[in-house]
Amino acid sequence: MAQVMMKDLNKKYDEVHAVKDVNLHIRDKEFIVLVGPSGCGKSTTLRMVAGLEEITAGEITIGDRVVNDLPPKDRDIAMVFQNYALYPHMTVYDNMAFGLKMRKFPKPEIAKRVGDAAEILGIQELLKRKPRQLSGGQRQRVAVGRAIVRHPQVFLFDEPLSNLDAKLRVQMRVELKRLHERLETTAIYVTHDQVEAMTLGDRVVVMKDGWIQQVGEPLELYGKPANRFVAGFIGSPSMNFVDVTVADAGGALWVETAGLRVKVPPASAGRLGAYKTQQVTLGIRPEDLRVASGTDSADYSFDTVVEVVEPLGSEILLDLKAGPNGIVARVDPTVRVKHGDKMRLSLHPERVHFFDKKTELAI
Amino acid sequence: MGRARDIRLAYVLLAPALLLLVTALAYPIGWELWTSLTDLSPLNDGPTAFVGLENYRRLATDPTFWRAAIVTVVFAAVTCAVKLALGLGLALLLARPFRGRALVFMAIFLPWAYPASVSVIGWYWTLSPPIPTAYSPFMGSLKYAVDSALGGGAWAFLSVTLFNIWRGSSFVGVFLLAGINAIPPELFECAALESKSAWRRFWLVTVPLLKPFLALAVFLALTTAFADLANVWMLTAGRIVYPVIGTHAYWLAIHGGQFGPASALSLTLAPFLIAVLFLLFRMFDPPEREAV
Repeated sequence: MAQVMMKDLNKKYDEVHAVKDVNLHIRDKEFIVLVGPSGCGKSTTLRMVAGLEEITAGEITIGDRVVNDLPPKDRDIAMVFQNYALYPHMTVYDNMAFGLKMRKFPKPEIAKRVGDAAEILGIQELLKRKPRQLSGGQRQRVAVGRAIVRHPQVFLFDEPLSNLDAKLRVQMRVELKRLHERLETTAIYVTHDQVEAMTLGDRVVVMKDGWIQQVGEPLELYGKPANRFVAGFIGSPSMNFVDVTVADAGGALWVETAGLRVKVPPASAGRLGAYKTQQVTLGIRPEDLRVASGTDSADYSFDTVVEVVEPLGSEILLDLKAGPNGIVARVDPTVRVKHGDKMRLSLHPERVHFFDKKTELAI
Repeated sequence: MGRARDIRLAYVLLAPALLLLVTALAYPIGWELWTSLTDLSPLNDGPTAFVGLENYRRLATDPTFWRAAIVTVVFAAVTCAVKLALGLGLALLLARPFRGRALVFMAIFLPWAYPASVSVIGWYWTLSPPIPTAYSPFMGSLKYAVDSALGGGAWAFLSVTLFNIWRGSSFVGVFLLAGINAIPPELFECAALESKSAWRRFWLVTVPLLKPFLALAVFLALTTAFADLANVWMLTAGRIVYPVIGTHAYWLAIHGGQFGPASALSLTLAPFLIAVLFLLFRMFDPPEREAV
């Protein structure tokens, strides 16, 4: 159990500045997820914590020790790799016991720990097999088992579910969460999948181009994205973005563009006042749009034409055009529309986002 | 119906490979086996007679044969062990990135890439300078010292061994480097998380993971050492004091005209070689139970 601190962490390769000024305080027992598109620096950050990459500048502290110059073995961490990294020449038991054997644990202690871990993960039957005789999900479990037998201070997960099929991934996700609740060990988890990030993380760190974009609890990232990138990255389907001009009409602020004109909700009006006559980016999540009914205010409604209908069963995704602007809406499965239909949509005024066009920061 | 046609098609597709195997391998081996049981010789006037195992029987009592056989086995084993050790060292050095790695790689690969017949002459001239040079007295006295310490011909044998190692290590190194590169780096990283000792990681992780490649490298090193005839011949300019099976058989067949005994001779080590190769092949591709 330990907290992990990263202070002004930087990683430079010859040409590439992969991690830039990362400052992060991971609390004891916290499950933190680093998420971002490939090349955002999340894996490099994790590997610096593990000691597999040298730190160019900055400091990493695990517990109360600065680990910059500690070899990986002495950092008291355990890592689960994307491709499991199981030794093909060893049985499942030997794979799980490997780290303990290397640390010269007594045999009975090794047997006990491996037995316990195997029981937690439900792989007691597999201990005598070789990795090649296991399915992907079983290998994944062994890789996790190898990490937990060590009782490390910190678990590091590097995209551990990426090689599993979709169904198994959902199942293992739940198991990992349950495991973390049971073991109460600090965990740093890297993924490019925002659903994994949202479901697993106590807090989520969104990264892009080596920079931390935002750190927060999942619903905080969803509800109050710090910038346009986070807004678009978190949530599926992604947030709709439309460039609009802020206009003052009859004492109230409106945002408008060809085919779309809505009133600025009172909550945002104050902050948007400074942008009068300027362009800003309007962000609306597909789930914050609905088919307009008679009771909806005309101030927050606009006309669209249906382009594509994607029925998913529990919901329908509509690709629409509001003038020249492409919009995706998530509507009730009972809505019956087809290509070319005209449709009036209404947006949820409290859930509208605005972003500065130049800095892309939330307004 | 469809299945019969598939099977026929399979044979048609296999035919070129089979034809090649039969003409290039099966026929010569078969011919050699047969010859070893006859007294075939261009010096014989009469018809070739079937002599059964006579050629083999005579070999068993021939001290020259036993000497050649021992020399061959020692030569193969020693060169193989040294090539493996050196090659593995080179491969491990080259596996980690450093400035100028491409140049070092080329330098290491050069002995193998260069035609053996040319480099062997270079070695020959280095060890026995053809014209008086500043260092030829040195080489002469070195040869004299080695020969007087280890017996006549030791210098020649040593030079052949060195040449084989020099050239073979280069190949084994490049071959094992390919092997190391084929292993997912996470397997090494994972070991680094568990142990600081590079030596333990080497024995517990690198060697077992490289086992198929090591087995194949031994396989290739052994077969080339057993078959090494041309280089031995050239490096000693045909003055062979320590004949290996290959040179001895060549001598018997080409100079002595005794095709039968020569064939028998060249086949004597075959069972031994096949047994070793079989063992290596098991390591290279161990039979395992399928996933349940």
